[in-house]
Amino acid sequence: MSQADEMVTFIQEHCLWQFFSRASDRESNINGVLPLAFKIITGEPYKCETPDERCHFANANRLAAQMKSSLPWLEGLTKEGLADVISGAQGKLENITVKHSLNGELNLPGY
Amino acid sequence: MPMKLLECDTLIPEREKHVYIKEAGEDTTQFLPLSDVATIPGSLSERGCAFCGAKLVIGGVLKDTIQMIHGPVGCAYDTWHTKRYPSDNDNFQLKYVWSTNVKEKNVVFGAEKLLKKSILEAFDEMPNIKRMFIYTTCATALIGDDPKAVARTVMEERPGVDIFVVECPGFAGVSQSKGHHVLNMAWIHEKVGQVEPVITSPYTMNFIGDYNIQGDTEMLAQYWKKLGIQVLSHFTGNATYDECRSMHRAQLDVVNCARSAGYIANELHKTYGIPRLDIDSWGFSYMSLGLRKIGDFFGLQDKVEELIAEEEAKWKPQLDWYKERLKGKKMAIWTGGPRLWHWTKAVEDDLGMEVVAMSSKFGHQEDFEKVIARGREGAIYIDDGNELEFFEVLAMVHPDVIFTGPRVGELVKKLHIPYINGHAYHNGPYMGYEGFVNMARDIYNAINSPLWALAGQDIQKGEQQ
Repeated sequence: MSQADEMVTFIQEHCLWQFFSRASDRESNINGVLPLAFKIITGEPYKCETPDERCHFANANRLAAQMKSSLPWLEGLTKEGLADVISGAQGKLENITVKHSLNGELNLPGY
Repeated sequence: MPMKLLECDTLIPEREKHVYIKEAGEDTTQFLPLSDVATIPGSLSERGCAFCGAKLVIGGVLKDTIQMIHGPVGCAYDTWHTKRYPSDNDNFQLKYVWSTNVKEKNVVFGAEKLLKKSILEAFDEMPNIKRMFIYTTCATALIGDDPKAVARTVMEERPGVDIFVVECPGFAGVSQSKGHHVLNMAWIHEKVGQVEPVITSPYTMNFIGDYNIQGDTEMLAQYWKKLGIQVLSHFTGNATYDECRSMHRAQLDVVNCARSAGYIANELHKTYGIPRLDIDSWGFSYMSLGLRKIGDFFGLQDKVEELIAEEEAKWKPQLDWYKERLKGKKMAIWTGGPRLWHWTKAVEDDLGMEVVAMSSKFGHQEDFEKVIARGREGAIYIDDGNELEFFEVLAMVHPDVIFTGPRVGELVKKLHIPYINGHAYHNGPYMGYEGFVNMARDIYNAINSPLWALAGQDIQKGEQQ
């Protein structure tokens, strides 16, 4: 199993934000939380001023902490290596929860 | 493994699309049970109706509101007292039941006059109560009554009262889930934004999808108080009608039951820009995670850590005592939908148990995505399970305890398998730290009760056995 796959399995088990009812909300959460988790882990500056950004921060900060303690190989990665793993995980997660999801309700206007 | 056709379903092979057994390496892009679709004829479903989803689950919880059920008396009686959600005002909502008691003559000649008479009579009998929900039911929807028009007339005649109409007869959807949806959407469009709350804290939130089952809301309210967070609206545990009209002023929506109330959180985000944070409120690990997320949102991390340390110091030794004794015990969860994914990892991580089978009455595919991601390999995942399937699954996985409702609970009790009320609890509350110890205690007591062995004895044989 690749490191990106391992990260996806971890996120699938632990995070509710990837499972919102609508495809657009799922995409917005995945794209809001994962890049922020990367910045938190690597110590890069980030801003969280709007209510949505603060909510993504709450999810990303916890995800970063959980992954650091549960995925020990994370610490050995370079910044570029981590960027690759997280971006790979982001793509895989979008595939599972949005693009290839069998959930027939994701794009219903009235959900 | 692909979807599973159980032996009992040979004559209704469509059921294969609703039963899944998870195997290593599989994900929900390969297999996902069909759900939130009409029950297959011939399948002895355990589902409730759409009206029940609106009234029993959400509306009926409000503590200051007359629940006028416009239909035959059975619709009112059967959605009263079957779920234990107390309140801090002497349980007004549990003490009374209201019905227009529609009869055959009303079906023939119309029941709007009867509805108006019943509304006025209820307000006159309870002069301190100024809020009302009216629910249509199958009979009054079919005859074309217009309860909204009646409500408007009463509100014009009595300016102090406010009435909300839920037009969701039992036949409106395939299960309770439709009632959740209808009530959520109507409430946000018709009532939210009408009352301005008094803000007393720099930190405000709504707590959505918690119905104060045996005091859950009051359990969590202790935490919000310690953190200095003002909850503008609980949707709808221990809440008033007007608190739920002021949801638009919160800074954050914290969602527990995403199935019954995710809709209103989504709409609050769309209309008022309030972000939605989903958490699990059962289990030590989940509760701590949820509290930390809320702390991160408001910048209250230190206070949250203090609270967690205090609660864990108080309750963790008791949890550990139960964990030592429950480790490896097998559990089945046959409830509505969300508790499958809220509980499966909570009891596995915090109590060392194994969840071997889960069945949902009204979950959607979203719920199955969550529970399959969280649940163990080899576990059986069923949508809208029927009684014969339950018997077959019991023979396949032999659970030590089953969390389910009273209907299925009676079934498994006859097999001398311990059951715990997964909807209204046995001795709750179950949320939060203390609550999860209560849940562990109920599991321990259920599994170790001597009654199961005694129930299997034939007393006619006396001491000869």
